[in-house]
Formats: sequence, structure tokens, C-alpha cells
Amino acid sequence: MEPKTPLGHMVREVWPLIILSVGLLLVVAIIQSLDDRIISQSLTEGLIRLVVVIGLYIFIGNSGLISFGHIGFMMIGAYATAWQTMDPMTKDIFVPGLPGYLLANSHHWLVATIIGGLVAAIAAFISGLAMMRLSGIAASIGTFALFMSFYSLYLQWSTWTAGQSSLVGIPVTTTPWVAFWFCIVAMIGAFVYSRSKFGLALRASREDEVAAKAAGVDVTGERVISFTISAFFVGMAGGLYGHFLGLLTVDTFYLPMTFITLSMLVVGGMQSLSGAVVGTIILSLVIELLRKAEKGVDMGGTNISLPASSAEVGLGVILLLILIFRPTGFTRNAEIYWPFKPKVAVTEVTHRQS
Amino acid sequence: MAFALQVLMNALSLGSLYALAALGIGLLFGVLKLINFAHGDFITVGAYALIVPSAATQATLMIGDFHPLILIPCIVAVVVILALIAEFLVFRPLRSASPATLMIGSFALGFVIQNILIMIYGGRPKAVGIWSDLSLGVELMEGVEVPKLQLIIIGVTLVLMVVLVLFLTKTKYGVHMRAAAEDFRMARMLGIEANRVIMLAVAISGMLAAAVSMLFVVQTGILEFRMGVSLMLFAFIATVIGGMGSLVGAVVGGFAVGAVSILLQTFLPSEMRVFRDVFVFAIVIFILLVRPQGLVMSRASRERV
Amino acid sequence: MLEVKDLEVRYGRLTALRGINLSIKEGEIACIVGPNGAGKSTTLLSISSVLNPTAGTITFDGQQINGTRPEDVARMGVSQVPEGRHIFTSLTVEENLQVGTATRRDKPEMKRDYERVIETFPILGERRRQSAGKLSGGEQQMLAIGRALMTSPRFMTIDEPSLGLAPKIVDRVYEVLIDLRKSRGLTLLIVEQSSERALKAADTLYVLRNGAIQLAGKASELQDGKAVHKAYFGFSDDHEGEVMI
Repeated sequence: MEPKTPLGHMVREVWPLIILSVGLLLVVAIIQSLDDRIISQSLTEGLIRLVVVIGLYIFIGNSGLISFGHIGFMMIGAYATAWQTMDPMTKDIFVPGLPGYLLANSHHWLVATIIGGLVAAIAAFISGLAMMRLSGIAASIGTFALFMSFYSLYLQWSTWTAGQSSLVGIPVTTTPWVAFWFCIVAMIGAFVYSRSKFGLALRASREDEVAAKAAGVDVTGERVISFTISAFFVGMAGGLYGHFLGLLTVDTFYLPMTFITLSMLVVGGMQSLSGAVVGTIILSLVIELLRKAEKGVDMGGTNISLPASSAEVGLGVILLLILIFRPTGFTRNAEIYWPFKPKVAVTEVTHRQS
Repeated sequence: MAFALQVLMNALSLGSLYALAALGIGLLFGVLKLINFAHGDFITVGAYALIVPSAATQATLMIGDFHPLILIPCIVAVVVILALIAEFLVFRPLRSASPATLMIGSFALGFVIQNILIMIYGGRPKAVGIWSDLSLGVELMEGVEVPKLQLIIIGVTLVLMVVLVLFLTKTKYGVHMRAAAEDFRMARMLGIEANRVIMLAVAISGMLAAAVSMLFVVQTGILEFRMGVSLMLFAFIATVIGGMGSLVGAVVGGFAVGAVSILLQTFLPSEMRVFRDVFVFAIVIFILLVRPQGLVMSRASRERV
Repeated sequence: MLEVKDLEVRYGRLTALRGINLSIKEGEIACIVGPNGAGKSTTLLSISSVLNPTAGTITFDGQQINGTRPEDVARMGVSQVPEGRHIFTSLTVEENLQVGTATRRDKPEMKRDYERVIETFPILGERRRQSAGKLSGGEQQMLAIGRALMTSPRFMTIDEPSLGLAPKIVDRVYEVLIDLRKSRGLTLLIVEQSSERALKAADTLYVLRNGAIQLAGKASELQDGKAVHKAYFGFSDDHEGEVMI
């Protein structure tokens, strides 16, 4: 059925966004109604990861370049946010190196999170100017090196980050619903970006870099834009994460986090927003189940458990299987499509969107 | 003068390790267009293979106790077998995938290897004393004393590089490998067995990783499940600034990164020394801004896509 | 010697070949001509098993080619000089020729073949230690042909041997190709865009357009050119003086 009214057309245009938001709303509402504190915490963590994965999608999905560096931006956002919201007294103790203004003042967590995202975006913009000049594979290595250097910088920069110990005393403000709204904002951001002329130009370069350049697309510039926007969301997710845990350690933002979020995107389907959402939901469930199994299940009085690190090994194996048998992920890189159309037209629509 | 020589030896020995690791990575990139994120973990496995598998905090030597003439082939065998298993289970099924997919695959493989190591050996670092008399100094000349190990690292690297060059230029399979690295499809159309070339490249890459394992663990005396990762990162940087796909570039890049690290280590004020890696990276960015294609250009650096 | 039956190749949604048939006899020179995008290179790549056809069969001496790997096809005695020549620029001229012997064990024969190639293309001998990337276009074409000959093929396909070469060099290349048939009994399948030169060299001519064979026949019977022209362009050449391109 072809929608006839202008409103119908608009609904059809943003259909994936609607269905994903409603689906996510249902998931959150159902889990929240269980009223279980532990489960609700897992939910918050999952939603924050979703913001990260959507951020990753903005860059990876549209540019086709793999970034191993975004968890660095998450870390930058996390610390930048915490610097603003912590109690000035605590700051004196843990991060005495902060500039005077920050030491003396505190911002509301929402303002702080947005500023945290901006700081991450600025870091991404500056480093992107260099990274995005590289060809695909070299750029990926570049982002990895960038990540490792941010990591080692924060690990050693003890007067700002408490170095190898933890930064504690961060107000806990991230509830499941806060994280949910950030997911919605991130989804809208990702959706609008990928439909914008910037997103379109970048996707053209993903399909055929030479042709896009010939058509006048400034590939490096478009990549930098996308890198910056995606770091903004990932940075805000970092802010949320700090205010979910109540403390920060540099080690939180290392290879496991990089691996888990990248897996989520790949498993869902790198080149679609739906893939980011679906992949995060599926792998979050798998992680929860494997972690449970690591803790052990009581069976007839004996505790049967998987060895430590099984969750990680399991994730790695799942990712490898997906890469080998379904490299386009669960969603086959397509968005959830308008359901009221004849089959022929549907393939055309999914093709355009993928 | 004595001081300069000391710094030079430090730079050469560190650069040697980076160059060897970068060669292992560059070889696979050439033939498979694979950026092997598991290469660092191959190195780690080679080092862990020295000890008895157990989660105990105190490491007990196993292979590490053997006579060097048995120890070295054993470690090489372990790493080469691991690399070949990786080829069969991961790289070969992903053969026709894009370089990006292959890269994520190797990243997943590395992550799995790291966590299996944690399962078997536990996550804490362990001290291992192997061939510790190698860290004793040798007097090179009046007032210049360097650890024996440095000379061995530089010597081993030189020998391995010469052998590799001879293999690549003087033997039939070496020439085939270079042809396949430049144009895989054409090489196959001329009858070169794809699987054979790739397995050979994987095995040689494994051998190089094993050499790095042994040299590195003797130097640091510590086993840690991520010990290969940072080494690999510097090797990656070496391949990028050297120019992707050029083996000469990988070596040049390896020595360049080693030299920059040692110079910073030596000349940075002591309170800045902890930020050494950050400076190394800043310099790399600068090099890339000036020469995005790397120091050494190669035709094979064009991606396969 | 080579039988292609109902060969169909698709790239995703695009159909490049829609059921073509070729039958090439031992010792003949067959030629496929056709405009850009007709599916000529696709045909050759399918014969080398670089591309997998969606339908149809290719057999060489009764052995099925499709479904095997490119290296197996090379082993059967089928060699290809592909579009763009694809010489190994980072290898020396000599090494390029050496790669051609990948499937062979007969050392003395290999040495003789090498000398024959050098004899045919003396310039390759002069430059044998140079990097192949330094050769001129014509020299690279000679190297690509020489390298294909080093596999000791019984059947050789060549994709646009005249592309980008000066007419004089093209003459030389064709001279060599015709001579190869005479001296070695080599069977050749040549692909060209222009039909003129192909008609002169070929025993059999196929005109390929839009992924289908429009015309096939003995070259000697197609000399008037009108039918070829019609098959090639899809319309006849009645309006004289009109510019086609």
C-alpha cells in the first residue's frame, strides 16, 4: 500500500526510526516493570553501550572504514564530564591538576555530558584531520594507534585522571530512562546524518571512492565530519557511563570495551542503524547469559560453571562465526523496511537504504 | 661518543624487535591483504609456551628449561602451528571477504587468544627468568658496555632479514610469494597454488613472531597476556609509516619507530618520560601528514577491494 | 579443444553474458570482437575460472573448467594474457618469466622455452635484470605474452593485445602470435575491439555484443564486412558518411 498523504510519506521515510524507538521503548518498559535492581543496572549498561554502538555506526556504517579508536573518545568524554560534575572538594583530592575554574565549579550533569561529548568531538576533529587522509586500512591502524596513545596518556596523567587508580565520587545520575533518551537522541542523530547530504556523500565514497572523488566529493573532509559527529555521541556515552558507575578507571576503556562494541555493530550489520540496535540487543543478552554461566548454575547441589573469560571467548567465537557465515550481520545491512508495500518495491527500498 | 654509541645500540635493538614484528605483519598483508591484529597474540603465545600451563602466580619453566637447540625449534613450532590453525579456521574461511572484514576477524581471533590465555594461565603478570645471563654487559670499547642481549637481538634480526631476502629473491617459492603479493589473481592464473603461498607466508610470519617472543621475553623477564599487543601496535605504526605492503618499508619503519622511542626516552625530561608513547604517536601523525603514503611507496599498497 | 556452452555470467543484478557458445578447434586462431562492455573480458576470465559462471559449462579437452580454481586451469595448459597485462612490476623481467613456470618440473624444457622467448623478444633478454615496472607499454605486452608462453600452454587467450600500443608494435605482436601457431601448434583466442586486424589474423570470428554472440563464422567468409558491421553495432552501415561514435 503506497501512502497517499504527505504525512504518510513522512511516516514512511522515518519508519526505521519509529519502529526502532518503539521497540526499544518496549524493551525498557518491560525490563523496568520487573523491578529488579540488578537487571535494571544491566539494562542501563546495555543502553549506554547502544549509544556507543550508534556512534560507531555513524562513522563505520557510512564511511566503510573500521575505527578501533572510538573507545578513546568515550574515555575522553567520560573524564571531561566527570571533571565538571564532581564535588569541588573531591576534585581537590583526586584531580588537583585541573584548571582553577573546573576545580571550583560544578555543572549540571546534562550540561556536563553535552560538553563532554563536545570535548570528545574536538579531539576527534583534530586527530581526524590527520587520520582521515590515510587509505582505508592504514586509517584503521591509525585509529588503533590513536586509541592506544589516548589510553597511555590518561593512564599517566594522574593529576587529571587519578592515573592508575580510580576516580571516585562521581554523582550517579544515569538511570535506565536517562540512557534510553540518549539512545533516542543518538538514533535520531544517526538517522538524520545518514540522510543528510554529508551522509549521502560519504556513503557514495564508501561504495566507490574514486567515483565519489570524481563526482566532487571531498572524501577526507566528509570522513572528518562523520568521525567528529560519531565521537560526539560516543563521548556523551562516556559521560553517561561515568555517571552510571560512579567511578572511573582508565582501564575500563580498553580493548575489551572496544571489542564488545565493535562486535555488536558487526553482528547486527555494520551499515544500518537497525543493525547497530539489533546487534547491541542480541549481544547484550548473550553477554548476560554467559556471565551468569561463569558465576555458575546449581544443578543437583553441585555448582556447574564456565571458567572465567568464557564470556569473552564466546563473544569472539560468535563474532567470527557471523563474519564467516553472515558478514552483513543479522540485518543484512538493511534497515527495517516499510511493511505495507508489495515485495518488489520493498527490495528497491532496502537496497537504497543499505 | 661513548654515550652516543650506547644510545645507538639501544635504538638498534629496540628497532630490531619492531622491525621483526613489522615484517611478520607486512608479509601477511602482502599476500592476504590481512592486517593481522592477532600477530601480537602470536608473540604472546610463543612466550607463554615457555612455562608450565597453570594459573599459579609463580611461573615454572617447561620448554624454557630445554637446551636452546631444542627450545628454539619448539617455540617456533608452537607459534607456527598456532598461525596455521588461525589460517585454517579464520583466515581461509574469510578469504573472499573484504580487507575490513578480515581485519575484524583477526581482531576477534586475538581477543579469543588473549582470553584463552587468561583461562589457562590467569590474568596476572608472571616473572620468568630465562637466559638471564644474557643481560650481562659486554664491553664494546673503552667505557661502552652494552648487554649481551642487545647484540644478540641485533644479530638475530640481521640474520633473519638476510635469510628472508635470500628466500624472497633466490628461491622459486620466494619469487612466487612476491608475485602473489603484488597481483594475487594473476599469480593464480599462472598456476601458483594460492593455498600453498598463503600457508607459507603464514608460517614465515609465525616464525618471525616466535623469534620476537623469545627475544622479548628474555629482555623483559615478564609474561603478561597482553605483552604482544603494544609491541604489535608499534609494529603497525612501523608498517604504516614505512608504507603499507612494502617489506623494506616495514623494516625502515620499525627502526625509525625504535629510534624515535629511544631518543625520546633519552632526551625527554624525566617527568615527561612516562608520556613517551604519546610523543612517538604525535611524531607519527606528523610524518603521515607530510607523507600519507608512507616513507616507502609500493605498488602493492593499493588495497585489494 | 575448448567448448563453451550456454555460458551465463552475472555480477549481482547485472547480466554480463547471456548464454554464449564458442567452439574452438585445436590449432586455430579464434577471435572475439565487440564493443566496450560486450562481455569479452568476462568470457576470458570465465575460461580462466577467475569468474564463476551462473549457468553453462566450459570444457577443455573434455575436462570441465568451470568450478575449478584458476591455478587448476593453468595446470591444464590454458594460459591467459589478461586485460591490462598484469605483469608483476616489482619483479625483474626474468622473475616474471620464472613465475610462468610455476606448474612445471621439466627443467631443461623450461630453459629452452626461456631461450625461445628471449629469441622472440630480444628486448626482454637485454632487460632481464631490470624491474618489469620500468618497461614501456609495448615491452610489457611482450613480457606478458612471454610469461604466458613460459607456462608451456596448449591454449592461450589474449585480451586486447593492441590496446595502447603503436601500430608498428601491434604488427610485431600479431606477427609473433601467428608465428606461434605455426611453430608450436598453439591454439589462440584473441579478443579485440576493432575487427579489422582480428579478421586478418583469425580463422574463426565471433562478434559479441550485449553479452550475446551476434555472429559467428569462418573469417574468410566474413571478409565483406557488412554483416560484421551490423552484428557489431546492431544496425547496418547503409547511411554512409554518418559518424557513429
